Amino acid sequence: MEISEYKGRVKPSWCPGCGNHAVLTALKKSMAGLNYETHNTAIVSGIGCSSRFPFFMSTYGFHSIHGRALPVAIGLKQARPEINVIAVGGDGDGLSIGGNHFIHAGRKNPNITYIMMDNEIYALTKGQCSPTSRIGTTTKCNPYAWTADRINPVLMALSFNASYVARGYSGDIKQLEEIITGGLKHKGFSFIHVVSPCVQYNKVSSFEKIKELVRNLPENHNREDRINAMQYAFSPDGLYTGVFYQTQRPTYEERYQEVIAKAKQIAGDNCTIQDVMKQFK
Amino acid sequence: MKDIIIKITGTSGQGIISSGDILSYATARKGYYVTTYRAFPSEIRGDGKCYYTLRISEHKALTATGETDILVCLDTDTIFEGIGKIKKGGVLIYDSNLSIENPPKRDDIVIYSLPLGDIAKETGSERSRNMVALGIVVALLNNLHLEEQILKDIELRYKAKAKEVIETNKNALNAGVKYTKETLIRTDKYSEVNMQSSGAKLIMSGNEAIGLAAITAGCRFFSGYPITPATEIMEWLARELPKFGGKMIQCEDEIAAINYALGASYGGVKSMTATSGPGFSLMQEAIGLASMAELPVVIADVQRCGPSTGVPTKTEQSDLFAAMYGTHGDCPKIVLAPMNVADCFYQTINAFNFAEQYQVPVIVLSDASLGPRRECVDLIDIENLKIVNRQKPDLKEGKIYNRYEDTKSGISPISAPGDKYGEHVITGLEHTEENAPTPAPEVHRQMTEKRFRKLETAAGEFSKAKTYGDEDASIGIISWGSTSGAVFEAIDKAKENGIKVQALYPRTLYPLPTNWIKDFVKNKEIIIVIEANYNAQFKSTIVERCTHINRGTEVLEFLKYDGTPFTPEEIYEEIEKVSKLKDDRYTLSTNKHTHF
Repeated sequence: MEISEYKGRVKPSWCPGCGNHAVLTALKKSMAGLNYETHNTAIVSGIGCSSRFPFFMSTYGFHSIHGRALPVAIGLKQARPEINVIAVGGDGDGLSIGGNHFIHAGRKNPNITYIMMDNEIYALTKGQCSPTSRIGTTTKCNPYAWTADRINPVLMALSFNASYVARGYSGDIKQLEEIITGGLKHKGFSFIHVVSPCVQYNKVSSFEKIKELVRNLPENHNREDRINAMQYAFSPDGLYTGVFYQTQRPTYEERYQEVIAKAKQIAGDNCTIQDVMKQFK
Repeated sequence: MKDIIIKITGTSGQGIISSGDILSYATARKGYYVTTYRAFPSEIRGDGKCYYTLRISEHKALTATGETDILVCLDTDTIFEGIGKIKKGGVLIYDSNLSIENPPKRDDIVIYSLPLGDIAKETGSERSRNMVALGIVVALLNNLHLEEQILKDIELRYKAKAKEVIETNKNALNAGVKYTKETLIRTDKYSEVNMQSSGAKLIMSGNEAIGLAAITAGCRFFSGYPITPATEIMEWLARELPKFGGKMIQCEDEIAAINYALGASYGGVKSMTATSGPGFSLMQEAIGLASMAELPVVIADVQRCGPSTGVPTKTEQSDLFAAMYGTHGDCPKIVLAPMNVADCFYQTINAFNFAEQYQVPVIVLSDASLGPRRECVDLIDIENLKIVNRQKPDLKEGKIYNRYEDTKSGISPISAPGDKYGEHVITGLEHTEENAPTPAPEVHRQMTEKRFRKLETAAGEFSKAKTYGDEDASIGIISWGSTSGAVFEAIDKAKENGIKVQALYPRTLYPLPTNWIKDFVKNKEIIIVIEANYNAQFKSTIVERCTHINRGTEVLEFLKYDGTPFTPEEIYEEIEKVSKLKDDRYTLSTNKHTHF
């Protein structure tokens, strides 16, 4: 597949300079590298700037409601395990209104990839604090003072037992493509946190500021060591990027195949409605 | 005697529900008609009382209400609650091991105070008192010959448990039978109960009927969150769906549950969820998404008393407004209300057919009196059921596929991931035919009309309203859902007493088939709208939507909102009252009536 074949019917509506353009390019490159066919791929999102993503792709897409990208994506994957399902969205969508689903996606380990574009602000509604806004961020909704701590999405994903946890940065498309490719290839729930600055409403977390903070995880970081991964996620001395953690365990779909196998052991391979009806006779 | 009511009562944890279930299965399997009513507290054990009523009859009975023939009490409180409701000549059975200060007395009934606990203890476990009592009931009804069948049903019910459990229960039942035959000096008349078996039939609960219909309609995906009294649907499907390669997925909340179902439906798989009031409120936003994105999905709402947590185990029909108008925006959908257990099956089949054909969310309104109620259903002709699948587009290379093509019927063919050249994006944003989001005024107007046009197309397909009673009656009843049994029985009684009444059950409540109501109302002087809620939700809908109909007709309401289902007696009394008032040149001083 050529990258150009993934171009959607709608032209990206993000502001010029928005970090999300880089994520769109990186995902297209990863998909082209893995030869993802447009008709076998679905991009699912909720609501927010980054959630407009599916319109800009030529694949199947489901732009759903605020916070619900993960349940829609997991439902689709369970119904059609052979389809490549990628959930996308922002920090407000995935950590605030949809936060509960993030926990359970990690626990269930569906074979989908979740790319969270974190601009540390609500941008579609023109600038209000999000769960990842930094100290000192003032907006029209908190004009006097900053009032709540920020949360750490990578640390959350690690504690929810997501089986692939990585972080990238919109300023480094090459690395972003690598970790997205790793996530797409990974069998299980892959979470990719992308620090993706907003050029319009977030002056605190600008490209320049983030660039100062970003550093690669050490070459010798052991990806299977979850505690060590958490230490890097916690680290006060910078914003680590790369693959924090990767492990293999059965996916939700695989586990459900066991359920089906057991049920069929009882009912036989060709269970009919008439067979089921017998319990009522 | 060809029609009797048995009531088994006690404290939760005493096995009231198990013994009632076993007895209802056994009677149905012997070929008699049985209908039941269950009431229990939400706590598994504790002080809550459990009531299981069965009506066994030669001909199909519609409700399990009326005076009790045989009352079995495993605790003290329910004796005094129930003794007054026993029919003259009926029987009270209670445990003589209970310490009761003033034993119950009534001269016109037979009271058997029997050592249920002792008999149970002798057979192995005092906990099997319920089975001893059941054995006694079976032996009293000796001409129904239930013994053999009930032993089979005990085996079936406990087949997953240890062998000893089955044996203990069977021994206890046998001991009850033996005691009745050998020790009890009978003074009751229940040997006279003798019915013709009417052959094979099905017995199931309303919740099971919904599950069975889902699988039959081709549903292969269910996502849900546990909630009383709807959980039984997900439990049943959890067991049965995987046998067909389908999935039942327990979600983290109801919002996830409906969104999982929408994801699966987008994948081209027929999907559903089931819930009750609180969960239904949480699902509203996603119901709007299904409406806007035009995704088929079925939602069963097994209503309970609301608002908020309300009374989780008791029945009400107070979610009608939420079903019709709960979602923000102009939101086309279809709302169906099954009248009884059999109708739970057929309306759920309709629900899937409508959802697939019109690409709308379809809501099935059951309730706490209908969902857990077990009753006989005539055999279902699966082979001849009409099953509808969504319309697929004609996809070709180079041909642009527009998901939301504005057609004459409003229905646009729908592709699913995996279909080549069918790629498209669906969205809850207003969108063009080419599925691009837009705020353009002309597009929002055009697409709103397109989505509602589907309902106009659908209206021609709705299954007929059910009527009951004399067509030339001047008193009409319009009602919906689970009230039907009590209403029809009340109409029969009214007829016996010379009052003609006809009832109308539209079953499709939204979009409201105003023509049916118009036809029905034509020759009626008075209409009573009967429903189990405070706000007269259906009545206000009819009055609001049918203002053009027959202005002379008086529309009254008869409402109940105490958590218990209507009984035929109270509906008959209302009919009688209304008919007398009508004869007195009907004038009401209350403000609880409306003219069209």
